[in-house]
Amino acid sequence: MRRLLLLLLLLVGAILALPAIVPAASAADASRPVVRVGTEGTYPPFSYIDPKSGDVTGFDIEVARAVAAKAGWDLKIVRGTFDSLFPALDAGRIDMIANQITINPEREAHYLFSTPYTYSHGVIVTAADTDDITTLADLKGRTTAQSQTSNWTQVAKDAGAKIQYVDQFSQTAALLAQGRVDATVNDNIAVLDYLATSGSTKIKIAGDAGDEVNKQALVFPQADAALRAQADQALAALKADGTLARISQKYFKSDVTVPNAGQVHVKGSDVGRSTAQVVRDAAWPMLRGTLKGTIPLTIVSFVVGLLIALVAALARISSSRWVRAPARVYISIIRGTPLLVQLFIVFYGLPELGVDLPSFPAACLALSLNVGGYAAEIIRASILAVPRGQFEAATTIGMGYGQTMRRIVLPQAARIAVPPLSNTLLSLIKDTSLASVVLETEMFREAQVAASLSTRYMALYCLAALYYWIICYVVSLGQSALEKRVGRYAV
Amino acid sequence: MTALVEVSGLEKSFGDRSVLRGVDLTVDSGTATVLLGPSGSGKTTVLRSLNVLETPERGLVRIGDARLDFASLPRDRRERARSIAALRACSGMVFQAHNLFPHMTVLGNLIEGPVQVQGLPREEAVAQARVLLEQVGLAGREDAYPAQLSGGQQQRVGIARALALKPQVLLLDEPTSALDPELVGEVLAVIRDLAAEGWTLVIVTHEVRFARDVADQVLFLDGGVIAERGGAEVLADPREERTKQFLARVLEAR
Repeated sequence: MRRLLLLLLLLVGAILALPAIVPAASAADASRPVVRVGTEGTYPPFSYIDPKSGDVTGFDIEVARAVAAKAGWDLKIVRGTFDSLFPALDAGRIDMIANQITINPEREAHYLFSTPYTYSHGVIVTAADTDDITTLADLKGRTTAQSQTSNWTQVAKDAGAKIQYVDQFSQTAALLAQGRVDATVNDNIAVLDYLATSGSTKIKIAGDAGDEVNKQALVFPQADAALRAQADQALAALKADGTLARISQKYFKSDVTVPNAGQVHVKGSDVGRSTAQVVRDAAWPMLRGTLKGTIPLTIVSFVVGLLIALVAALARISSSRWVRAPARVYISIIRGTPLLVQLFIVFYGLPELGVDLPSFPAACLALSLNVGGYAAEIIRASILAVPRGQFEAATTIGMGYGQTMRRIVLPQAARIAVPPLSNTLLSLIKDTSLASVVLETEMFREAQVAASLSTRYMALYCLAALYYWIICYVVSLGQSALEKRVGRYAV
Repeated sequence: MTALVEVSGLEKSFGDRSVLRGVDLTVDSGTATVLLGPSGSGKTTVLRSLNVLETPERGLVRIGDARLDFASLPRDRRERARSIAALRACSGMVFQAHNLFPHMTVLGNLIEGPVQVQGLPREEAVAQARVLLEQVGLAGREDAYPAQLSGGQQQRVGIARALALKPQVLLLDEPTSALDPELVGEVLAVIRDLAAEGWTLVIVTHEVRFARDVADQVLFLDGGVIAERGGAEVLADPREERTKQFLARVLEAR
């Protein structure tokens, strides 16, 4: 028992120690400060993954790289969902955002903006056969699909629309085409890019969302005026030497970095790939996401989670009320709150208390605690299912509590616990897809990235399903083998 | 000669139901004592108190040099655990439902206590276990799992497991009650052999004929007290009315 506790402490310690080791290795070059830029990677043509090279690219990324080169930063790109970008900035996990963030008063109250590098305007998008929505006034009472923290959401809200929250523009386009929502408000360039890439005739630009010109800029935390100043200096120089204009011409055949650019031409970020090609291109990044994200997350979280569960289960059946109570509270909290909330608390909440874990350890911690809560009840029930006479027999041959548990009870409980614990493991494998909200790019996130660019949802999500199924199938084979092994004594 | 086992003033209740109301008994070394009585009379509770599977509220239990006064158990948890362990080490227990460890082989069951608790070297424990298996007529079944044995064989392994710790007294709690009738004989035969070899036995049983054969002392319990005690002749010629009735019922049921 004591050895088990020690092992658990070591593991938790190792996870906590990781952040101390990792930055030390990367921050070797002090003359070039590391600047972590947060971006979606699923918002073409501004921020997306080049299917050929697998690198993050796009208009905003090229601007950010040019700024970094001018300012002498060592730029490190961190990918996350749109709604995780601002929390990540708040929690100090990234130093700036480059993702077509529109300047508005609400955001200006909390963040610092660089000088704008994009001027755009909003458009209303509907299904091709919708003809009663052309202005913002028509949105009253209709349902629009928007990103939770996007400024376009506020525009739609102000127009009296009901909001359906989504993650990416490509999902919105699908919802529109399927008739599940009535409209969306978004940036004209993003919409044009989508239309050019997908070749979709199912949705159309129905009108302008007001005549206001929107300005997009890099975002910094309120406290980081120095970094903002460096960025502004770099942007001014890039504007002066024509670099910004050149980047814009490359993507839009016009200069969107100045007001009133005129007609924007978007060639589409991803045109001309067949579905088979898209799937082939996505297969490797998704496999990499599986090997570097999904599988390690699962293994670490399951092992640590089982140790937590064992301790919690033993505490739960302890004779001391003071030992039972905390275990009961822990299990109740874990089982009574969504895993998503637990992930957010660990990753975005704990830094406020000074516990600042990188993505992978944070995801592991949250998943381990989650598994621990569920598995604790399974282990407890399995221990209680071992007949009373076994405890008595162990007692009469002179065994103490630890020996009885280790040699007599737990081996028998293991047999009972294997099937339900396998279920927990299978759930965990699939739950790792939630790790993308804490900026951990696992397999499903890679599928979303590929889908956002190519809009081939069916093929890519089926591929993701296939990947999950293969992993789970292998696990279930392991389960059968393990059941035979721990149950070999039963006739 | 002082008795090997000495029990006095044992009192125990479950909730407000009083199960033992002052039980006194002694067991001499090398003798077989049989506890008889109707169900609920407290005979199993007496037996389980001898190795503290039940904790009486009051009373004294001594086996050999180990003694425990239940009215004043040590306050300190470690101290209490130590003195309970010392008393337990003096006896071996055979359960009605054998309670063998199902995940261990027969050999594993037999050497578990000697190796894990007494710290005996494995080879020594194995050698000793083989002798015991021979004694209970199960030589050659070392590698079988309990589930692969018949009920009678399982109970004989249970007896061997209890003996493996070399206890001063062997406690048997209705060792044949859970067995099919045709399997009872082989287990009773083993117990008879033990008695003949001079083991000290305390047996709770309903097998009156067997009791008559092996018992040096018969204790008849009723309502939490010992209603009658004597040699095996008590079974043939009881004096107490309660004993007569009980024996008549049990023998009638045969």
